[in-house]
Amino acid sequence: MGVLRMGFAHVRVTDMAEAKEHYANTLGLYEVLEEDGRVYYKGWDEWDHHSVVLEEGGVGLVKFGFKVQYEDDIDDIEKKAQSFGCTVERMSEGENPEVSDGIRIFTPSEHVFEVYHSQTLIGTEVGTHNPESFPRHLVGVGVPAIDHALITAADVKGMERFLTHTFGFFATERVQTSLDADADYIGTWMTSTNQIHQLAVIQGPQGKLHHFAFKPADWTEVGHAADLFSMDEVSIDIGPTRHGITRGQTVYFFDPSGNRNEVFAGGYAAYPDRPVSIWTPDKLAKGIFYHARELNDSFTSVLT
Amino acid sequence: MPTVTVCPTGEAIYLAPDETVLSGLYAAGFAYAIGCRRGGCGICKVDLVSGRVAYNRTIAETVLTADERAAGTCLTCRAVPSGDITIEMRHEELRLINPLLRQLNERARFRATSVLSGTEPKE
Repeated sequence: MGVLRMGFAHVRVTDMAEAKEHYANTLGLYEVLEEDGRVYYKGWDEWDHHSVVLEEGGVGLVKFGFKVQYEDDIDDIEKKAQSFGCTVERMSEGENPEVSDGIRIFTPSEHVFEVYHSQTLIGTEVGTHNPESFPRHLVGVGVPAIDHALITAADVKGMERFLTHTFGFFATERVQTSLDADADYIGTWMTSTNQIHQLAVIQGPQGKLHHFAFKPADWTEVGHAADLFSMDEVSIDIGPTRHGITRGQTVYFFDPSGNRNEVFAGGYAAYPDRPVSIWTPDKLAKGIFYHARELNDSFTSVLT
Repeated sequence: MPTVTVCPTGEAIYLAPDETVLSGLYAAGFAYAIGCRRGGCGICKVDLVSGRVAYNRTIAETVLTADERAAGTCLTCRAVPSGDITIEMRHEELRLINPLLRQLNERARFRATSVLSGTEPKE
C-alpha cells in the first residue's frame, strides 16, 4: 500500500515548559515519553507510540515521519527517492524511540522525511473492545490525532513530481499560475489515501514549516478549540473559518515558540481518479480563506 | 514606566512595566505588520534607534542573530524596554486602529509623568 499517513511531526521549541503547557494542557495531547531533552506525545485516537515530538532549542521543523504499511515499502521508496536524485540514509530501529528502522530522505525542498514501517503499538485511549466513542476526561481541545502539514519549497512543481514518484501521492487540489497546460504551480495538496491531504506544499523558502495540523471532528469542535485558545491566550492567526481549498474548517494558531498549528475538520474524500481542483491566483485568497476572501499579512510570510 | 517613541511619526506610547513593545503598541490602539507574536517568525522586527531592550524569553538564533542584535534590531513581540526607547518602523508607519485606546494611553502617560514630577492633578 505504501505510505499510510504522516505519522509524526518533530519540531523545535524555544521553551519546553511553555510548549508542554500548550501541547498537553491546551491541545490535550497525551505525553508518552520524555527523554534526552525531547518530549513525545500522542492524540487520544492514535494507536502508535507518538505523533508529535518537541525538542528544546530553536524553532521550526526538525523532520516529519511517514508510516508505510509493509517493511518492503521501505526498499521500494528508497529506490524511488534515489532514482529521483535525493540523498537517502538508512536509519536503525530505536534512532527514534519506539520507531522501527527505515530511511531518511533529504527532499528537493530541503526538508527531512523519515519513512518507517512500525512504531510500538500503545493503542487508542478507548481501546478496541466495545470501545466508547471518546475518552470521558479529555483535557483542553482534546485533539484526537495529527492530520497533515504544509511546508514551503522553491519549486512546487518539482516537489509534486517528487511526492508522486517517491510516495505514490496524488494531488487533490492545486494553485496554478494559470489554467494552461504549461502553468507553473504555486501550491499543491497531496495524499495517498481518502484523506484530503497529508502534505501540502506552497511556494516559499526551502526547508520551512508553514504549519502542522490536528484533526477535530467537526465545525463545533473547531469553534470550541478557538474558545479554548482565547481562554489560554493562545496567539490565533486566523479563524474559525473555512478553506476553499479542501473545504476544511479551520483555526490557525501559534504554539508558544511561534510554530503555526491548525485544527482542521472536514475536507471531502479524496480519490486518485477524481479530477484535480485548480485554483488561479486571482482566487487564491478565497481558496485559502473562503469567508474573508483576503489573505492576511501572515499567511505567506510567517514561517518557522 | 518606559515610553516608546516611534519614528518617523514621533508618536510617544506609554508601556506598562514588563510589557513587550508589541503588546504595548497594540494596547495603545496601534497596528503594524506582525506575525506569530511568539518570537518564531521575525516579522515584527523594527530598528532600535536609542535605549535598550531585554528579551523576556529565549529567542532562537535563527530568528534574531547575534549580529542583528548588535546592529540594533528589535524583535518587538519579545522585547521589553529597559527604560525609554526610540524605535523606527521598517516597512510601514504605525497605523492607528483604535483612537480610544490611544486616548487612554495618553492619559496614563500624563498621569505617570505628573506623579513623577509631583504635580499630580487632584481627582
